[in-house]
Amino acid sequence: MQMTKPAALPADWRDLYALTKPGVMRLVVFTALCGLLAAPVMPPLVIGFTAILCIALGAGAAGALNQWYEVDLDSKMKRTANRPLPAGRLDRQTALHFGVGLAFFSVILMELATNWLAAVLLASSILFYVLIYTVWLKRRTAQNIVIGGAAGAFPPLIGWVAATGRIELLPVLLFAIIFLWTPPHFWALSLFVRSDYAAANVPMMPVVAGSAATRRQIMVYSVIMAAAAVAPWPLGLTGWIYGGVTAVLGLIFVAFAVAVARNEATEPKMMRPEKRLFAFSILYLFVLFAALVADRWLLT
Amino acid sequence: MTKVIGEEPKPEQEIIRARQRERARIMAWLLGGFVVLLFLITLAKITGK
Repeated sequence: MQMTKPAALPADWRDLYALTKPGVMRLVVFTALCGLLAAPVMPPLVIGFTAILCIALGAGAAGALNQWYEVDLDSKMKRTANRPLPAGRLDRQTALHFGVGLAFFSVILMELATNWLAAVLLASSILFYVLIYTVWLKRRTAQNIVIGGAAGAFPPLIGWVAATGRIELLPVLLFAIIFLWTPPHFWALSLFVRSDYAAANVPMMPVVAGSAATRRQIMVYSVIMAAAAVAPWPLGLTGWIYGGVTAVLGLIFVAFAVAVARNEATEPKMMRPEKRLFAFSILYLFVLFAALVADRWLLT
Repeated sequence: MTKVIGEEPKPEQEIIRARQRERARIMAWLLGGFVVLLFLITLAKITGK
């Protein structure tokens, strides 16, 4: 593994902040907050705030440890070459200390503020992302995103458990929705940045199985995900607001996935359907979780 | 031609001090915030509100 030279200057706080992957954290915080707000029990405001803060810090810790481990990969990909570690603005030891410190802090604070189950789930999500996804799967199998997606699926479950102290069917379904959403979301991206992953020898699906197989897989996962997303409604776990919104959004998602499956382009410039699906997939998750909260607060 | 002092590159020592000061200030705010947060958590646990 490539080691960065220890930076001569002390780390700038902006680089430490960038290490936490703030862009990813936004979706994590939002889904965690929605999981908490959708729960039948509302914790005191400060406890709810602390739970979300801990989930954000835990996600930041996982992001920092991911970047600490992947300096060699990040330096080979255009998309990530300017991150603090590959760019040489930060040394690896600082990143490791920062990530480990943040991880312990977030888990301990979660236990103090909420309950041990939420703390265990938070610790599991960090360990899953760092050990199972980053260290074990990412460089070894094209299924890296499929299994590793579980790490990103934890936040709403943790939010719910922080509020209630229990694991119930609805947060488990929310976990399943994000788990099934991750492959089409990341594979759409990996289709148009395929050369980056190929240059870094990361066995993403388009690199290993080719674009056509990836597009078929996107289609399959999109259909299963859209069905799973609606499931809480017929199961009586949510009302018509959530059911209606997810049904419409699911149809649009599948329509965009069909456009991807039909596309045969090999040049990123010609991959408009893939870029559209990638952008829509982010909006999809935001609206789905917003609808869940609206449903819970307006109908019950 | 006279040199404008402000336009000269900062000596490394000065940059190090500036970054240390900035980080120390942020750490102080974070620690202060943490103390307040712990106090509020304790109150919430006691009163249940």
